[in-house]
Amino acid sequence: MQKKEDSGEAIAKSMLEMSKLKVPVIAIVIGEGSSGGALALGVGNRVLMLENAIYSILSPEGYASILWKDSSRTKEAAEKMKLTAKDLYELKIIDKIIKEPNGENEQENFIKTSKNLKKEILNVLEELKELSPEQLVDDRYQKFRNMGEYKIL
Amino acid sequence: MIVDKIKKREPTAKRTENKVDIQVGKWIKCDKCKEILYKDDVRANNSICPNCGSYFRMHINKRLELIIDKDTYKRFDINIDTTNPLNLEDYPKKIKGLREKTGIQEAVSCGTGKINGENVVICVMDSGFLMGSMGIVVGEKITYAIEKAIELKLPIVIFCVSGGARMQEGIISLMQMAKTTAAISKLNEAGLLYISVLTDPTYGGVTASFASLADIILAEPGAMIGFAGQRVIEQTIGEKLPEGFQTAEFLLEHGFIDKIVKREELKETIYKLIKFHC
Repeated sequence: MQKKEDSGEAIAKSMLEMSKLKVPVIAIVIGEGSSGGALALGVGNRVLMLENAIYSILSPEGYASILWKDSSRTKEAAEKMKLTAKDLYELKIIDKIIKEPNGENEQENFIKTSKNLKKEILNVLEELKELSPEQLVDDRYQKFRNMGEYKIL
Repeated sequence: MIVDKIKKREPTAKRTENKVDIQVGKWIKCDKCKEILYKDDVRANNSICPNCGSYFRMHINKRLELIIDKDTYKRFDINIDTTNPLNLEDYPKKIKGLREKTGIQEAVSCGTGKINGENVVICVMDSGFLMGSMGIVVGEKITYAIEKAIELKLPIVIFCVSGGARMQEGIISLMQMAKTTAAISKLNEAGLLYISVLTDPTYGGVTASFASLADIILAEPGAMIGFAGQRVIEQTIGEKLPEGFQTAEFLLEHGFIDKIVKREELKETIYKLIKFHC
């Protein structure tokens, strides 16, 4: 039977395959990452994020519309959602913030940012080199296993 | 003037009627055939409309009663609460109120039980608790149940009903998709049987994680199953969707699910699948 495309299953399968990879996996959020589409590529041993990127459960527009049934409360949603690199670092969703220089010369900013990113990718690879294939899988498992602090009732 | 008065009175009248009918009354209306039904008749009929046969959503306890042998369900001793990561003001209050109203702790209950004598790990979600949405607690409980299945070397059955990731907990809810999925990858490695049963409605982050990753995916007739809602998809792609899109029947035809099983036949079907595979 031919399968029609469905994003739900595709996201699930992509995360499943990423969980099983026996090589180092680094996910980098470089712009707007949201919902299952972003997470489908986000199951890494380390998750890096550019300083001014955002990463969230949904776009602020969608969030306001679902939670408050009022899509005009976008700004409030964006503030509440904790979608900045700084917030996500504090929540331990990401491991490292990549600095994005903010000088006048755009091209120079871009080159500097790329250099910062490259340096960090090499650092992480150096760190993960020590782990065996099984340890890499386990390292990734533990990372996501521990996401979501809870209280005992 | 009179017209104005009638208009003003209408909403109040409607609210009272809802309250009586749905929360404390003995009557319930079938959304499909619009028939007013006696609640006890519906309950006695596995929460199926005696008039038109369409399915009502089931409470966790009713679902367990239907699937698990009497007095064999042992809920895992994991009593946890959300930490309200986005510090939303009303959220903890809402959770507390729902606990009192529904008599359940959260949107999922997990434990072990027997199906016609066969031991299984079972998770049942409930749409009555914030639309069965998956936040920290649901993610943790599902993951715990999967790990328990591996430890006990038992097949696992998950009854899904969910609006998706829980918005109130933001990105941490999203991460529960990766967490449950990673647990499924361990389950696969352990070679244990996993059956998911998709019931109306199964959407969002639950569809896009453990619900779609079972060895055998069953669904109840007429269940709506998808990732994004139909309206959102239509608005995004600017096209009309085909008729029946996201119904269990449509998904069966397109190879996403393996079988549609009537509610009254679910227990026997799951039992046979377990007997066949284990």
